[in-house]
Amino acid sequence: MGKVFGRNLWVFGIAIFLFAGVPAILTLNVGQAEGQILRSACKFGEAKTFDPHMATGSPDRIVVEMIFNGLLRYKPGNMTTEGIEPDLAKTIPVPKILPNGHQEWVISLNSGVKSHPYDGKAGYEITSEDVVYSFKRAADKKYSAFSGDYSGMTFEAADKYTVKITLETPTSASLFLPKIVNRGGGLIVCKKPLEEKGNDWFRTNPVGTGPFVYKSYKPMEKAVLERHKEYFKGTPKIQGFEFFYMPDLSSRDMAFQKGEIDVIEGPRDDLWAEKMTKIPGTVLQTILGFDTLLVHFNMSIKPLDNLKVRQAIAYAMNRKEFIFLYGPKTTKELYSPVPAGQQGLSQEEIAKENLLYEHDLDKAKRLLAEAGYSKGLSLDVFTSESESYQRAYELMQAQLKKIGITLKISVVDHSTFHTRIRQNLNPIVMYIAMRPNADVILMQYFHSASIVAAGKRPITNFSHLGAVDANGDGVVDSIDSLIESAGKERETKKQVEIWNEAQKKILQYMASYPVVSLGTLFANKSYVDWGYTPINLTDGLRATENTQWIKK
Amino acid sequence: MIQFAVRRIILSIPILLIVATLIFFLMRTMPGGPAVAVLGDYATKEAIEALEKQMGLDRPLGVQYADFLGSLVRGDLGKSIINGRPIAPEVGRVLPYTLQLAFSSLLLGIILGIPMGVFTALRRNAFFDYFGRTLSLAGVSIPTFFMGILLMLLFSIQLDLFPVMGAGDSSDLRDTLYHLFLPTLTLGLMMTAYITRTTRSAMLNVLQEEYVRTARAKGLPERIVIYGHALRNAFIPIISFIGVYAIILIGNSILVEIVFSRPGLGKMMIGAIKQRDYITLQSVMVVYASLVVFINLLIDLSYGLIDPRVKYE
Amino acid sequence: MSNTRILEEGKGKLWRTFKKNKTALVGTAIIIIVIAVAILAPWISPHDPLEQNMVHRLKPPDRTYPLGTDEYGRDVLSRVLWGTRVSLSVGILSILFGLVVGTAMGAVAGYKGAIVGSIIMRMVDVLLSFPVLISGILVVAILGPGMDKLILTMGIVFAPRFARLAYGPTLVVKEREYVDSARIIGVSNLRILTHYLFPNIFGGILVAGTLWVGTAILTEASLSFLGLGVSPPTPTWGNMIKSGIDRLTTAPWLSIFPGLSILTTVLAINMIGDGLRDITDPKLRI
Repeated sequence: MGKVFGRNLWVFGIAIFLFAGVPAILTLNVGQAEGQILRSACKFGEAKTFDPHMATGSPDRIVVEMIFNGLLRYKPGNMTTEGIEPDLAKTIPVPKILPNGHQEWVISLNSGVKSHPYDGKAGYEITSEDVVYSFKRAADKKYSAFSGDYSGMTFEAADKYTVKITLETPTSASLFLPKIVNRGGGLIVCKKPLEEKGNDWFRTNPVGTGPFVYKSYKPMEKAVLERHKEYFKGTPKIQGFEFFYMPDLSSRDMAFQKGEIDVIEGPRDDLWAEKMTKIPGTVLQTILGFDTLLVHFNMSIKPLDNLKVRQAIAYAMNRKEFIFLYGPKTTKELYSPVPAGQQGLSQEEIAKENLLYEHDLDKAKRLLAEAGYSKGLSLDVFTSESESYQRAYELMQAQLKKIGITLKISVVDHSTFHTRIRQNLNPIVMYIAMRPNADVILMQYFHSASIVAAGKRPITNFSHLGAVDANGDGVVDSIDSLIESAGKERETKKQVEIWNEAQKKILQYMASYPVVSLGTLFANKSYVDWGYTPINLTDGLRATENTQWIKK
Repeated sequence: MIQFAVRRIILSIPILLIVATLIFFLMRTMPGGPAVAVLGDYATKEAIEALEKQMGLDRPLGVQYADFLGSLVRGDLGKSIINGRPIAPEVGRVLPYTLQLAFSSLLLGIILGIPMGVFTALRRNAFFDYFGRTLSLAGVSIPTFFMGILLMLLFSIQLDLFPVMGAGDSSDLRDTLYHLFLPTLTLGLMMTAYITRTTRSAMLNVLQEEYVRTARAKGLPERIVIYGHALRNAFIPIISFIGVYAIILIGNSILVEIVFSRPGLGKMMIGAIKQRDYITLQSVMVVYASLVVFINLLIDLSYGLIDPRVKYE
Repeated sequence: MSNTRILEEGKGKLWRTFKKNKTALVGTAIIIIVIAVAILAPWISPHDPLEQNMVHRLKPPDRTYPLGTDEYGRDVLSRVLWGTRVSLSVGILSILFGLVVGTAMGAVAGYKGAIVGSIIMRMVDVLLSFPVLISGILVVAILGPGMDKLILTMGIVFAPRFARLAYGPTLVVKEREYVDSARIIGVSNLRILTHYLFPNIFGGILVAGTLWVGTAILTEASLSFLGLGVSPPTPTWGNMIKSGIDRLTTAPWLSIFPGLSILTTVLAINMIGDGLRDITDPKLRI
């Protein structure tokens, strides 16, 4: 018997060596990938499109905004109107009123801007022809999710480097300029590849002029960009950018700690921030920004068509708990749909109108009983798997349970969430986003033209305000005219007053309940020099031509 | 042998057909149909009709079925309803990752499991036997994903030896192996547990057979008795169980792919469910079915290689 | 057929042998404790498993919260205890459902024989060749999430296994004389199935079913881990691990304890199974 065991143990030893020893030797030789490719991991599961005029989701925006330029751009790291600077254009244009009352903006372009190479061909020079083509495409409902922004505008090429944009209705610079920056429909696509290869091809092979060239995309894994050597502002300093899709926070955390990823988006959570600051070689980026969490009620369906039900929900919700959930360092109460810092209503003004909707369970229960639901009610909702959303829905679920409202939550992928809420499928939409100014916020969330699925230019009006009777008096309630007249107003003080009036209406109707304004946390390795200071930005950190490695 | 292989392959065609048919009709029994499943209960009639048209669901069921089978035969798995990308190339891209993982885990399971099984059987009721049996019992009782998480905590976070995500650069063998190690260990240890248990009981069975006793009585060296007679005969039940385990392994690879963010069929399938992409789900299911049928075929064929006495009929 | 052997050994003898098997006894003891926990969960939980308390979120284990709190400030111990209830009842109910449907299928196939029988059994074989997890994912994707649907899903997944198990003994029992004579004196088919067949094949099926509860619990946990199980906020071990995996490095208690609960329960069931196998397979008897 002894011999047998001896032999057996020997086999055993070899087996263990093979599966423990060999990989251990392998690890000695495989160091972490060197080379200056910035690897960034987002919290989303998958990209949907890299067509800039179709990209509405956060993860897609980050990528397309590195591939494409706008005529103007938000200074990297600062996405406010004050942060706008020239990009493809030489200067920020100033408007002129034409004799027929139209408004004209003349934009002169930089020369020598090269497109990315495409389809095996070298890049070519981008001129006014491409710019005009791009805007016409952005204004076309068929090819653009942003067509609404460009209605009533005409585009023409005055000469090779001059573009004229004419608006039927004059508007202020603060409302016009955001439409020609490097975001949404303002991203300039290249005409030649689109005409040669068609839209379908372009959707998976975006060709732009930006600092980074699209290389490949592996679904649910990563998008790979490499630097645009002929970038008109100079060759980017890093060699490339890889954008990973990693919805699991723990995978992101571990990959970052192991140095497999250089930048990760964190959860909205102070505890996480505390932990990350303790890891050597880590820089924590706290971006306060203007991300808001709004709860939109679909007022077109029962029982949310009843004002008292919506008010009951609003009173049942507790902003303090949301602040704890997302971390008091970066989260603040939000009392109006437009944040106070973006010319929204101040807390005092809202308090004067008695529209704060501070947590009050008794009042909530009373309102619900008055609405005829003293026994409570139940609603099926769905949330994105993205942690900010899922946690918001679960907290809301617990808060509403206290007044007898049951939320049944199912979980879908983040991009599916966005598709489905835009198809008017979620009775309660919690929406976290930043919009550049009061006009855009009110227009996109509360104008009747923006009503999801049914509006003239459907965007993100989930509440159906403008098409339904919100307060039960038998008349359709709308704030369209307020939003429109504020948009035409060129005197700032007056404009803000009209916007304030519109916001009061929204709160009176309880079309949407403002919860909190949110910050975002990122962690990056200390060897990453972004080349800018992130102050205000949405969606996530982007690499620019100036992003580089700090030399050791 | 070859004749048998050919016949077995031909025989597996109707099985695949049954499975594909089953999946096709199951998808259509979803409450309200696939379009409603994609859009949900609050969808408008127009939206559902539009999607049904896009998915080709407005055509008669027979036509849809014929079209589905026809495409399958041509190797066309359709296009994703979410992003319009053809599914077949994507399956082609991720399938090798799943196969790599399954194969290496099975190999680890065999290399560790068979010696351990033999060893525990020979040392029956000794300390090593109890030890081995307890470990293997724990191995079949632990959820795969929990095992993955524990290994990840230990090897990647505490010891900082292995990466936590992805499959590495597929053109670089070393990088591939480096990324494959922890996922393989997770599934491989589970396989080891299964195979140890099977081998142990198969050996115990065989060791009590008449011919083993006779061999021993004849005074043959113990080594020859164990390896020449006992283990050889124990192989048949072991192999047939390894087939069953390989199929369990394919199922559990889904969990490992999710835990380690590895590309693969499982990750593709879960992604399709979360995006409510039922066309992709349907196709991935058919691919899994083919995989299962293929494994069964391999197992049947391997009997002959192990034991020449097995006749193929 | 080890199942029939159990029956033939007689109940008293089975128990006497069982008592001597330490593995099986320990397993049984653990399972009794787990079942007690599931039943007593409402009384022994220190907190409400659903009550959120944002001030105390993500607290490591201490005296008020012996297993810490989760990201909504819910008590992990209470959730694990209540989770026992959910996981166990999903496991048991789904197996019961599969047992009823599957046994009926197998018995009918065996009793009817000929074409009906072989068609049913062909289908069963095809279904059986699929990994439990993959069939589970497919069915749950079609039915949607929720506890009731999860039970239904797993019942469907396990039914073929019971059918296979019932089929063989049915073929044997069917040929017995007393069944034949019953048929001759005009006893209806249904009555023969319920009065003559089931009592004879039931013992073995029940034993296998008990062991499959372990597999069912693992499958439920896996589906919940993939986000396809019971919807929030109901605690199950699987979805507790899933929500804890995001905080593995900062708050490992979120996933470690539910993970250990699954391991313990399934291990105990498998220990009983091993014990039973030792008993019913005399060649291997220690």
